[in-house]
Amino acid sequence: MNEISYVGEHLWVGRLGHLSILAAFVAALLSAAAYFMAFRQKENHTTNGWTLIGRYSFYLHSFTLLLLMVLVFYAMYNHMYEYSYVFDHVSADLPLKYILSAFWEGQEGSFMLWMFWHALLGIILIRTERRLEAPVLFVIAAAEGILMSMILGIYMPWGEHEKIGSNPLTLLREVNDAPIFSNADYLSLIKGRGLNPLLQNYWMTIHPPTLFLGFASTIVPFAYAFSGLFKNEHIEWMKKCLPWSLFSAAILGTGILMGSLWAYVALSFGGYWAWDPVENASLVPWITLIAGIHVHLVSKNTGHATRSVYFFYLVSFVLILYSTFLTRSGVLGDTSAHAFTEMGLEWQLIFTMLFFIVVGFGPWIWRFKVTGNKGPEESLASREFWMFIGSMVLLFGSVLITISTSLPVINKIMTYFNPAYEGKVLQDPIAHYNKYQLWIAVFVAALSSVSMFLRYRATNWDVKKRAFIRNIALYAAVAGLMTFLTTFWIRLSEWQFVVLAFAGWFAVAAQLVYIFKVLKGNLRLGYSAIAHLGFGCMLIGILASGLNQKYISSNPFVFRGLFAEEDLKKYVQLIRGRPLWSQGYLITYHSDTLVGRERIYNISFRKTDDSLHVTDEIMLHPNAMYSNDFSKIAAFNPDTKHYIHKDIFTCIVGVPPSVQSAEEARKAEDSLKYTNHLLKTGDTLSVGKYLVTMGNVTNTPVNDEYVKHTHDAGAGVLFTVRDKQTDSIYTAEAALGLEGALLYQYPASFEEAGLRIRIDQQSSNQLFTTEDKIKFQEYTLKTGDSVTIGDTRIVLVGFDRNPKHPHYDSREKDIAVAALLDIKRDTISELAQPVYVIRDNIPMSIKSYSPRTGLHIRFTNIDPARETFSFRVGQEPKEIKTLMAGIANDVPRSDYIILEATIFPGINLFWAGSILMMVALGFASVDRFRHKLA
Amino acid sequence: MSRNVIIGLVLLIAGGFIIYRSFSSDITTYATFGLASQGSRVKVVGTLSKDKPMDYDPEKTHDLFSFHMKDSDGLEKKVVLHKPKPQDFEMSEQIVVTGTMRGDVFDADEILMKCPSKYKNEEIAVKEKKG
Repeated sequence: MNEISYVGEHLWVGRLGHLSILAAFVAALLSAAAYFMAFRQKENHTTNGWTLIGRYSFYLHSFTLLLLMVLVFYAMYNHMYEYSYVFDHVSADLPLKYILSAFWEGQEGSFMLWMFWHALLGIILIRTERRLEAPVLFVIAAAEGILMSMILGIYMPWGEHEKIGSNPLTLLREVNDAPIFSNADYLSLIKGRGLNPLLQNYWMTIHPPTLFLGFASTIVPFAYAFSGLFKNEHIEWMKKCLPWSLFSAAILGTGILMGSLWAYVALSFGGYWAWDPVENASLVPWITLIAGIHVHLVSKNTGHATRSVYFFYLVSFVLILYSTFLTRSGVLGDTSAHAFTEMGLEWQLIFTMLFFIVVGFGPWIWRFKVTGNKGPEESLASREFWMFIGSMVLLFGSVLITISTSLPVINKIMTYFNPAYEGKVLQDPIAHYNKYQLWIAVFVAALSSVSMFLRYRATNWDVKKRAFIRNIALYAAVAGLMTFLTTFWIRLSEWQFVVLAFAGWFAVAAQLVYIFKVLKGNLRLGYSAIAHLGFGCMLIGILASGLNQKYISSNPFVFRGLFAEEDLKKYVQLIRGRPLWSQGYLITYHSDTLVGRERIYNISFRKTDDSLHVTDEIMLHPNAMYSNDFSKIAAFNPDTKHYIHKDIFTCIVGVPPSVQSAEEARKAEDSLKYTNHLLKTGDTLSVGKYLVTMGNVTNTPVNDEYVKHTHDAGAGVLFTVRDKQTDSIYTAEAALGLEGALLYQYPASFEEAGLRIRIDQQSSNQLFTTEDKIKFQEYTLKTGDSVTIGDTRIVLVGFDRNPKHPHYDSREKDIAVAALLDIKRDTISELAQPVYVIRDNIPMSIKSYSPRTGLHIRFTNIDPARETFSFRVGQEPKEIKTLMAGIANDVPRSDYIILEATIFPGINLFWAGSILMMVALGFASVDRFRHKLA
Repeated sequence: MSRNVIIGLVLLIAGGFIIYRSFSSDITTYATFGLASQGSRVKVVGTLSKDKPMDYDPEKTHDLFSFHMKDSDGLEKKVVLHKPKPQDFEMSEQIVVTGTMRGDVFDADEILMKCPSKYKNEEIAVKEKKG
């Protein structure tokens, strides 16, 4: 095959990008190696040569990584479709503000984002960390080197398909064998695929960077732990690491929370947490990190539990890598909603995990003895003992989640050894996770509350004992009372839920007392109390919104007894304009409008009391989003009304096939059998149960479909349909639109009667009179003059210097004027406004047409000297229009939606509680950083 | 230390027990139509029989959709899904339905579809020529 010299490619971007990738990869490895050499030397290594090499290589790595990102972004920004990553994620119609989202939509982009955060954290640590720089940076640089290999895109010498990583600046024609690449000018022929419409919102702009900063920051505790183990110094790093651990927990938690908020408010998931494998995979490291922070505090204050601190920090980062493996290796397959597509990285990801398990847990085992507890055992009445137990409970919860989430991995391993192995799968994932995590939550809430009132090393326990027991009894009483009151608000259907509600209230009561009584409102000491308070609120919120969510959209008459009640009651069918009474609400689907690529539905919910008085009315606007090429609806987005005590959530789950996709609409239209009838205005025809009457003809049709498009000219015919039995009357207009030489039909649709009426194309010449068939005559008038043509009298009454004519769009420098002509014939009285325009020194006239009189008037000349104005007036042949109308009956409805509407009571407690936790973690981190600097 | 070891052991045993219980009761294997005994809830994996009719009349019964599916043994059964027809259903490569066998019909209330990735084997979209 001959080499083709392609036109219009920007190959320098890819070449420079490839160079940056190689440089960043090599520099990261060099940095890791140099730091490794540096901390193995006994002397103070801050100034030795290895450290300097490590440091500058890390800077070089960071710089080349940034350069690569800039190049990829540049290629995306300029729509260089010759690059496969650009082609896959950007399209010409993608708004600029979503380019960033498109950047990290794919695997390669999100790897770069992750590395970017690592690099930034690394630079901060180089600048601030002195003594532990070498071991800490060794870990980060090694991680960067390994992550870089994911986007290396180098083929191995031993096989054509053995590839390491995937280069984000791979040319499209290198990965795709389409015949289009035989065309040297293929670039002018292709267009990008663009960003998935589901991801075109601000969540996609903020959620990934936050989550990846959370991911990236978990490496800092890992790296510090590594340095402590390696140097066999277990005090210093803990002081330095605590603010970082808190920071990481706050950011990772916020990232997860953003994801669940996104799922709830903008996606049609119908909830904030679904125990999806991807959600679990990022939650578990967060839990282990939280457990790590707790044993960290224990160790810092008492010297106990040091080994556990190491364990939790090491395992958190390894679990982050495991979550990356789960989401990016394709192993989750069909069990998760948001796994990435396979990129052939499984073995690389497994290697990454193994590498960090060895780097982390190798030294952990090596120092196993040294890190054990040395002093006397913790007292049962000490704070550290119960904090430790709490961390173990968290660990236990994580193990349970991890095992269940890993079923697909276990299946894969089992199938490897035994191909006949039948894969196991969770019967009902949500129920499974809830059942066990409920108890974890109960224990954590109880332990976090009780231990706050205990002291480290059980100081003064004998004196404090009585007060402690009295206090706990008091909180339990308060919690019991609150739980009892809660049952009036939400239904606690099983005893386990009562226990959970009790635990939640117990935490809330205890922490509030702690904040106000023990700390006297001094919040600086009370971050832990605030976080625990948040946890208590969160539990009650979860209980209320999860257990007592109620479907307003219910359809109780169908399939009763076949399935669990709640499954059936989710969806309801709403016909436009026909209110439906359901669960105390009168739900009405009023209308829908198309705004950009979104069809927005207007749905009202009116709450009625027993005597059917409307007590509350809200409007909700869920929408349907069309695909980038408008050919079908790609996604439905919900809308939620937020009250303080509850949310009303609505989402469309289905629309008629003819609305769903253009292809279905065409099929539906093709399947209709139209019978043609010749009709004049005023004629009536009997069709089944209905009488159809043809009304007036206009040139400004009122038809939903017609108004969506632009036309050169249009004609509409009004039809009235009357039900013979009920006398109900429906009206709609059928339209024809002319654009260039193309004629478009827009039938009138009578949903209630199941009728559709269209104007047959052969009638178009009756509706659109071509100019050459009209005889024009010229008249010259002065202001006030009149002229009589047949039985029509025309008076020139004045002028309008700001003409508004449907076919005139004004431009700057136009000189335009409309003549105001009063037309009278029999009972008809109208104002015609033909326009005279001088644009770029060329005079033009824009015709006015009056369908009622059939008059066409052009404003052709102005004579300033004589103050006269010339008009050409033509009369359409005055025959009564007989049109060919096609009528189809038994047409399926297309004016309904299938809706899901849910009430989430107390959901704000969940958000408030979880946000409180993140805020407390964040402030605690900031405070510790300040403390360290001071 | 010894007490912590005891606590650890207790947790381990309790944990092991819970995990064992949870796994035996909450976990199921993918069944086939042939193996799915009447009345018990199972998951079946299969592919859509594109030659058989799909039936969805949202105007009358908006949450009833039926189609034919071939399971991994090649056995074909009618599936009645008690949900609105999922989006892009025709494009699915693989279907997982959860439900029960009733007579010769599989009554499903949950469905998962695996659709071809938008990154693979797709024709390169060509600009529409204006003219």
